[in-house]
Amino acid sequence: MFDALIWLVPALPILAAFAIGLGLLSGVIQGEKGEWLTARLALWAAGFSLTLMLLFALKSLLFGVPGQLVLTPWLTSGGVRLYLSFSLDTLGLSLGLLVSLLAWLTLRFAVNYMHREPGFHRFFLLLSLFDGAMLLIVLAGNAALAFVGWELAGVCSYLLIGYAMDRPTATLNATRAFVTNRIGDAGFLVAIFLGLAWLGGIEWPTFAFGAPQLDTLNAGLLALAFFLAAAAKSGALPFSPWIARALEGPTPSSAIFYGSLMVHAGVYLVIRLAPLFQQAPAVMALVALCGLLTALYGWLGGLVQTDVKSALMFSTTAQVGLMFFACGLGWFDIAALHLLAHASWRAYHFFNAPGLMHLTPDPLRPVPAWLTRYPGLYTAVLRRFWLDELAEVLLVRPTRSLAADVDNFDERVVTRIAGLPDPVGHLSSLAEWEARKQAGGDQVEGATGQARGLLGRLLEWFSEILYWFEERLVLKGSGEGLLGVIERLGRLVDLVEYLLGQPRYLLLLIMATLVVIL
Amino acid sequence: MSSSHASTLDIRAGIRLALAHFEHLLPGQAPIRDFVHHNTLHGFQHLPFPEALQAARELTGQYGYLPAERFRELFRQGRITRDDLARVLLEDPELAASLPLEAVPGHALRRVDLYLTTLLYPFPALTGCQLNWHIEELEVMSRFQEDVPREVRERLITAASHQGLAGEAEVIGDLWGACLQVLGLESFLVHPEEMLDLSPTQAEQMLSQIQTQAAEDEQRPESLVRHLMGQEATRQLQELLQRVGRDLTLGGLLRQLTGRDPMQELGPLLVRYLGAFLDQGVAAWHPETRANGFFAFWQASAAQDLGWLIQDLPEWRNHLESLPDDPLDSLIAELRRMGLPTELWVGYLERLCLEWPGWSGLFLWRHRHPGYQGAGFPVEMLDYLAVRLALERIFAQRLCAGLWGVEASLDMIRWYFRHHPAEFMVRLALYTSRLPEYLVNKAQRLVNRPGIPGREKDRAPWHRVAQLIWTWRRSPAADAGERRASETAPRADNPTEHRVFVSGWRLFRLAQHLALPGAAIRAMGREGAEELLAGLALMDDERSGFLWLQAYEHHYRDQIFQAVLANHGRGPWRERRQRPRAQLLFCMDDREEGIRRHLEEIAPEVETLGAAGFFGVAMNWLGLDDRQISALCPVVVTPAHEIREVARPGAETRRDQRAQRRRWRRWAANLLFQESRRNLLSTGLAMLPLAPAALAMLAAKLIAPLSTGRLVERWRQGYEPEVPSDVAIHAGERAAPASPEQPRLGFTESEQADRVQGLLRSIGLGSGFARLVVILGHGSSSQNNPHRAAYDCGACSGRHGGPNARVFAAMANRPEVRQALHQRGMAIPADTWFLGAFHNTGNEDLQWFDLDRMPQALQPDFDRLRQDLLAATHRSAQERCRKFASAPSRPGPEAALAHVAARAYDFSQARPELGHATNAAAFIGRRAMSRGLFFDRRVFLISYDPTQDPDGRILEAILLAAGPVGAGINLEYYFSTVNNDGYGCGTKVTHNLNGFFGVMEGTSSDLRTGLPRQMIEIHEPMRLQVLVEADTEILSTIYQRQPPLQELIGHGWLLLAAKDPERPLIQVFRPGRGWEPWTGSDAELPRVATSADWYAGSMDPLPPALIDPGAVADHV
Repeated sequence: MFDALIWLVPALPILAAFAIGLGLLSGVIQGEKGEWLTARLALWAAGFSLTLMLLFALKSLLFGVPGQLVLTPWLTSGGVRLYLSFSLDTLGLSLGLLVSLLAWLTLRFAVNYMHREPGFHRFFLLLSLFDGAMLLIVLAGNAALAFVGWELAGVCSYLLIGYAMDRPTATLNATRAFVTNRIGDAGFLVAIFLGLAWLGGIEWPTFAFGAPQLDTLNAGLLALAFFLAAAAKSGALPFSPWIARALEGPTPSSAIFYGSLMVHAGVYLVIRLAPLFQQAPAVMALVALCGLLTALYGWLGGLVQTDVKSALMFSTTAQVGLMFFACGLGWFDIAALHLLAHASWRAYHFFNAPGLMHLTPDPLRPVPAWLTRYPGLYTAVLRRFWLDELAEVLLVRPTRSLAADVDNFDERVVTRIAGLPDPVGHLSSLAEWEARKQAGGDQVEGATGQARGLLGRLLEWFSEILYWFEERLVLKGSGEGLLGVIERLGRLVDLVEYLLGQPRYLLLLIMATLVVIL
Repeated sequence: MSSSHASTLDIRAGIRLALAHFEHLLPGQAPIRDFVHHNTLHGFQHLPFPEALQAARELTGQYGYLPAERFRELFRQGRITRDDLARVLLEDPELAASLPLEAVPGHALRRVDLYLTTLLYPFPALTGCQLNWHIEELEVMSRFQEDVPREVRERLITAASHQGLAGEAEVIGDLWGACLQVLGLESFLVHPEEMLDLSPTQAEQMLSQIQTQAAEDEQRPESLVRHLMGQEATRQLQELLQRVGRDLTLGGLLRQLTGRDPMQELGPLLVRYLGAFLDQGVAAWHPETRANGFFAFWQASAAQDLGWLIQDLPEWRNHLESLPDDPLDSLIAELRRMGLPTELWVGYLERLCLEWPGWSGLFLWRHRHPGYQGAGFPVEMLDYLAVRLALERIFAQRLCAGLWGVEASLDMIRWYFRHHPAEFMVRLALYTSRLPEYLVNKAQRLVNRPGIPGREKDRAPWHRVAQLIWTWRRSPAADAGERRASETAPRADNPTEHRVFVSGWRLFRLAQHLALPGAAIRAMGREGAEELLAGLALMDDERSGFLWLQAYEHHYRDQIFQAVLANHGRGPWRERRQRPRAQLLFCMDDREEGIRRHLEEIAPEVETLGAAGFFGVAMNWLGLDDRQISALCPVVVTPAHEIREVARPGAETRRDQRAQRRRWRRWAANLLFQESRRNLLSTGLAMLPLAPAALAMLAAKLIAPLSTGRLVERWRQGYEPEVPSDVAIHAGERAAPASPEQPRLGFTESEQADRVQGLLRSIGLGSGFARLVVILGHGSSSQNNPHRAAYDCGACSGRHGGPNARVFAAMANRPEVRQALHQRGMAIPADTWFLGAFHNTGNEDLQWFDLDRMPQALQPDFDRLRQDLLAATHRSAQERCRKFASAPSRPGPEAALAHVAARAYDFSQARPELGHATNAAAFIGRRAMSRGLFFDRRVFLISYDPTQDPDGRILEAILLAAGPVGAGINLEYYFSTVNNDGYGCGTKVTHNLNGFFGVMEGTSSDLRTGLPRQMIEIHEPMRLQVLVEADTEILSTIYQRQPPLQELIGHGWLLLAAKDPERPLIQVFRPGRGWEPWTGSDAELPRVATSADWYAGSMDPLPPALIDPGAVADHV
């Protein structure tokens, strides 16, 4: 029965985040006086969740791991069933323990470190939320639940990179990180979709046991989609640049997000889905290659970084690359061990970053002489292999122009055909008035209510009828119900439009189309 | 030919010469490891304080006083009183504050009342929209302004009742009407949106207005509006382009026209180049080309850079190849290409530097300190400028070519916008002024519209939007500033032009605060109103900031002067009739005031003294554990001597063992923190065993920082055996002469005697020696603190001053030195022993040097003194705790000491100690002057005995040494506090250490100089008040003799006052006016039995109190 309490582990920190949020909204928590309460809330919640994890670990040590634990059905729709389930195997438990420990320690670190910061409460709220999100990722029993954590962690990361909201660089980098992560999210969503379609469920064991039944191509597609998510989150090539730009936040958040926990989420996902990946040799090769290149990229990059945070970040990227490489070779256990060790060490390393100068009196050992014989390579490494520039040219700029085109199309074609009020058309300036006066036409036509274009006239006529209809039937009659329906319909349309406007849904749509065609 | 050649030479020489001048504009902060406090505005020190702040603001845009709102808060807290302000106002001759306000007859108001009101309440000019909001949402037309005090309200209501008005709404409504009436204004409410569609009457009115204005024009063009717009665009373009090289760079110009910030786009790249070049040990891989200088390194790297290809700048490669290899040639080529007149070149480079002052300043610092830390590559400021210019060009080229299809030169930009005036107007208005939303939308849309650069067909929309903006600016809804921007220059400065939401509104508010009813306003008429407004205008933020500051200083000054006078004749050891039990010489540091006071309370028979913490021993120090020397002396001094710590005979094996073990530990630390980020595979392997240890360490350090810290310390001490050592102070008599260029090992006999005698004379310790004389150097320990050096001893270049104390004591104990001193007339008793020690101001630790050399007979004395000192450190910790938010309130001595020790060990602690925060004054004189008073750790205490210095030579030396050090510390704290974003370095929380030389925010910002927010939060920014116990005549002659002091004191960077050595009299020095006796209140000073009685339980700054062991503690 004790096992059923596992949901509390991620829920407690999330609840604490909500409590802090409520306190802030209601004004109970504010300013320096509120720091005590905020810190207590966050620390107690994280502490309880850590204690629970410790008990689970102890129990598992004594009586063996509980394994997959289904608490309750979550969603049922047609043949699709989603459960509130948790994976309490060695991987989940050990990572859960590490996450809750490091999160609690980070919170403790932040109590002193963030004292009197204007963003103190915001920081604790986000860190608590992140704690819960990471715990969801590593403990979730299925892809959907993990995805919830995945997204939450992403949002927290976005908000903490932009911690210094007044610095344009920080907000810009936050947005870049967020957008890059959306590519990975699309992969995750497609994978969930494919899992539901092909395996009938997205419980992790379903993937493990169902994978052998899939043919290589399907297994490959599924694994590829997951790997896309993993690579984006963990900053593997070609997504590496975002993570090096993500270091704008306070030191403790940089430590826990990019040094120690979130950066490993992608590796965790691949390890979690080891049986699936093993069914797809091509994807395994891709993982290995990508890992190897990432490791090289991180290692070379780390050699030339001069600011401490970037230097640590590149080193982290290199180690994460090695983990992917190990996964690609099928050494999932080694990758898992490496992950646990690296997360612990790097947290320590990052926390000490401000004092690195005083911890080590010696400069870093120079690179071997053979490396210095390639000045061109040096430039390439210093410029981070131009990945940022490439992304700018290949992704950002086309997207921007597309958006501008659409906007233009909207303004010039759609607006005119539809005869919508044109924001440019209406205004008048002194120059126009003068011209008009000189032309002798003192009489001015009222621009209001005058429609343009064929469609416009039609609409004008139509709207008069509607007006009549509204006057007579809707407002005067017992038209409450009708109004309500219209309103609700309108809102639905708005929602659909909004969702379609979101890149991830657009991407999802495109990918789904591709998959259907395949 | 020859003349042009000569002028080129001149230009080259001129640029080189100008580089030296940049030192005055840029932060002079050293690499952070060698952080030393200095005046943030050191480059403006030749100007009087208020003028310097104004000049700096004009150059960099940074305001140099606390914001008015903060001063008002201090006023509410009673840290500044109305009386302080009035006195300061009356002292300013320009204000003529004592005269009656002629504008307001019959109200008995003096000008000072007007000024006081303008200081105490804000009188901002509004914009049209804000006025609308105030009227509609806050109902200001029928209510008193929120901040009008109750009694003023009542006065106004009473005054208005004589007019027959009753009720708040009526009175205020009438007042508003009166204000507008006397200024000849009409009230209106126009929303910017109303300008969306001009009504015919509105348009007619505006047109006729314009036509009357332009009536003088002899030839009336066909379209007056277009004609005027064209004129305006030409003028604006002219003005903007003229600013380049004066207060704009090309990048800045483009920012005003495109909204794109060159430093934001080039920043990440530039930071990487600069970091790679200047790095002091974070990176493993440094470019080979670094040896040829920054420009060569960049040039070589840029040639291999594919970024330009990717970013579609193919012609960049050609340009790069055409750049001369010499940085100066390249600089000149770029400036020529830009089309900037030669005479503006230096100004342009200056501007370029100021865009990123932090990096520019560091580069210049390295330029001026060649070979810093053995750097084997040249750091030339010219290189830096050449790279900056070349990078700016890339940016400009990309923008200009992409947007307008022109070359990035001033001529081409001028040419383009002459042909596209409408586009120019729209861009400038969008990026440099505030437009209503509907116009912003339209302008933004135009700017972002894809199109082929410069195509004729695309011009029409620009014209339309330009016309709309122009129309809006002419409308009554536009703000004053906006309107001004659109009008021709001479009209803009017309002072009699009033606007409802500017002068009307300010007069309205002012009248309420002065309790003037509508009738009074009407009675004074336009002239009277304008006089009031002129008084308001006189108090601009520079002047009011300075007035506030003076009042603030005034308040504190009165408190301490009163205390000193009340203490006159109370303090012991004015003359040492008896022998003190012991004498302890501390650093003059304000942080030592607390421990000295506590020690004196515990052991009244002990005398404490203060001097600059290098104790007159300027030396290069090489400790047993050190691998390189460090200069332990004020940063302006270059030592000519080197002193080494050596193992005692017989301890060589221990020494070697210690060295060996330390090497191991260094190796391990290096492995842990450096190698583990450098290597790929070995790091991965090393992780496995390291991880559990790291996790355990992390948890231990966060859960129990104190125990963990102590455990680690103990382990370290056990692991590395203590080595009995000596300081090798003695040089042979035939040693080569010592010089800063070739420092000599050790001091000669007479040099030693000079140093001992110099210091003892300086502190007035020529006789009456105690048996034990302890010299205490100081420093501070903390973890995870890039600014650590800023907490250490300022007189030792930001390092620990322990070795100086030790060397001094060792010299003073030598019989040969005693002998020499005796011959020079200074008799130190044979039973006197000097003892070196070290006080850690962070964790309050004490460390004693060479105890085993102390004669046995002194052991009991020493034991007793040590007990007392230990108790004093406890109490000092207790006193410090009162300022820490996370410390227990009213802690016991043990708990307090544990708390401060834990802070120093706590690596999550951003405030290990509070440094010099709250420093405010310096006393130069006998301790008797201040002993027995509580000064809240705010005072530098420098010992000096005027009775032993008839000609003032000693005082002169003290002032010359301590003046700049004290002012440096004080002014750095001042500027970092008043404007932490501009002059300080912001919060520590997002700091990222770069190259071991500075901190950035995030990974691609400017280097941040100055002090972090965590260091200055509780600081009370005021200039250092120096109080010297000396005759004013002596001080005056010293002042006449010493230009450095004339600069510091005469220009108001330091405030000077003198305490008469014999009488209870203080005289204040006023630059330009001389000495004036100080007269303050004669109120009783609070009396307490111990300091703790006075401060316990309080977190706020406390005024001085008399400590009188006989007093009953009534203030608990």
